[in-house]
Amino acid sequence: MAGNKRIMKELAEVRTNPPPGCTVTLADENDMGTWDAVMDGPPDSPYTGGHYKIQITLPKEYPFKPPQLSFKTKIYHPNVSNDDRGAMCLGMLRPDEWKPPNKIADVLRLVRSVLAAPQPDDAVEQGIADQFKNDRKSFDKVAKEWVGRYAK
Amino acid sequence: MAYSQQAEEEFAELQKLSNEYEPEVTGPLVGQREPSTAITTEYASADPVFRAKTEALPQKYSHYRTTRGDGRCGWRAIGFGYFETLIHLGDSNKFLEEETRLRSLSNVLNAAGFDSLLYEDFADEAFDLLRKVANALPAGNADVILHEAFNDEDLQNYIITYLKTLTSAWMKTRPSEYAPWLLGQTVDQYCDHHVMPIGSEIDNVSLSALKDVLLSSAGIALEVLYLDRTEGGEVNMHRFDPVNPQGGLTIGTIRLLYRPGHYDILYKAEDLPPAIAAIPTYLQYSSHTHNEPVYDLGVSDFMTAIPGMSYANPHQGWMSNSSYGPDLFGSSAPVQQCAPPVSTPAPPPQPQIQPQPVYLPATPTHLVAPPSQMPQQMAIRTASHATLAHPAFQPGGPFRSSAWELEDGFGQLSSSMPFQTSIFRESHFNTAHFLNPDFQPKEWRPDDDYVTTSSKSSRHRNSG
Repeated sequence: MAGNKRIMKELAEVRTNPPPGCTVTLADENDMGTWDAVMDGPPDSPYTGGHYKIQITLPKEYPFKPPQLSFKTKIYHPNVSNDDRGAMCLGMLRPDEWKPPNKIADVLRLVRSVLAAPQPDDAVEQGIADQFKNDRKSFDKVAKEWVGRYAK
Repeated sequence: MAYSQQAEEEFAELQKLSNEYEPEVTGPLVGQREPSTAITTEYASADPVFRAKTEALPQKYSHYRTTRGDGRCGWRAIGFGYFETLIHLGDSNKFLEEETRLRSLSNVLNAAGFDSLLYEDFADEAFDLLRKVANALPAGNADVILHEAFNDEDLQNYIITYLKTLTSAWMKTRPSEYAPWLLGQTVDQYCDHHVMPIGSEIDNVSLSALKDVLLSSAGIALEVLYLDRTEGGEVNMHRFDPVNPQGGLTIGTIRLLYRPGHYDILYKAEDLPPAIAAIPTYLQYSSHTHNEPVYDLGVSDFMTAIPGMSYANPHQGWMSNSSYGPDLFGSSAPVQQCAPPVSTPAPPPQPQIQPQPVYLPATPTHLVAPPSQMPQQMAIRTASHATLAHPAFQPGGPFRSSAWELEDGFGQLSSSMPFQTSIFRESHFNTAHFLNPDFQPKEWRPDDDYVTTSSKSSRHRNSG
């Protein structure tokens, strides 16, 4: 019902005033529930130069349940699951921490800040998180390799 | 190493499961109003402190209403109570006044940094509901509409979010009032982590802020009754009186029963909806009481006997066994919905309803007064009538039960044949009396004189 109205408002806002480094389109113009975002890797991070396709799925209860994020482009990052789903779920995206006034644009800003500064203590990929904490150099190296391999 | 790695993974897996675990919540989001004796029963085998407190509870708080314990029951209970108190007041102007007041709070929301583009969705649903409920007041089904709205998960999400937004904005624009209670958090942090998130339950500070922004200016008081293991024979009450800058009156009180981690709604007899008063004539009173045992002959019944005070089609109310006549009483149907069996108030008969024919000349003006101006005393009397009119008598309550209650069919006893007792047989309340508007002469039936075994038993039943 009114959720759709809300999504339309947000879509209009994001299209005229997208968050830095992002472009947003609808996967299917008839389906407001799935958004495709393309995010540039933040400068000063190993991901710079990469373009990441992120699918945002809005549950039918949106805005009372958080959107679900799925990286369609593989990324070497402690907070993104290294599988087909490429899921990211932290901070405001957790169902019990989600606030209905949060906007998808806020979510995209959060994602970009997490790309710039991974949160190893909140990791889904523990191995990558350990490497990030203990061996930053090789972490950066693999991350950059993956940018070249998957995200160009 | 391998072992600890494995254990760690296992632990992480368990931790994940535990984080994702949501206890299964059942029951309606907002239940029906029920007699609070049910709480007493619930704790009948609990420890003595709970038992004593819950046994004392129904004496002051006759009814309660459950809310679903999904972590937002406090917000839900206050939201529901707010609307219900406005309904109880019964003045559609007050709804308009409230909508205007809440709309003017958008300044506060903006000042607190909320984006009007987003919060207007939540606010609009709340305003819509205010209007919908106000429009339903004349028909008397406002509480049905409210109950439906709060059981629409989607809709009440909007309303709860609106309440949370209001609360946050109020706190953020008055940090000095609330910061001292926040133990090392700033108001902003508190609102971001403990008010706005979907899963955040109300706590003392947010409760107090919600009361400040939503209830106080509306003139609604809030009582929280704590049912816990502390000393004492009664629930501990904490009352927040409205501090109304305009010095307005208190229009009602929301009472919450707090059991650690959960809020339900409590009612005193005076909070119960004036179910019958929704239709501003005395005629409905007798339509409710016409088939009652004789002891229930209240003032209103006598009133209708006054010459000139009878209504257009009296026999329907008086003598027919159908509860409501076709047209005249058609409007009573919503009233019946307002007071379904579980939610009918069951206070004991008040002294006011004793037959007092002496005062008759003064009474009619009271009874025809529109419900909004009804004195409290009136509301109680009305409630009592509704109770007694209901055959489903609720045993229990604060008064000692009568032995008759234990008899099967108590309450239905004389419902089939009103006014057939020795007192009324010779009066015009009996259809066989020529003054009765539904006059029906007694017919001689041979069976009555030549008693056979089968007819004898039926006669006995009639005369009983």
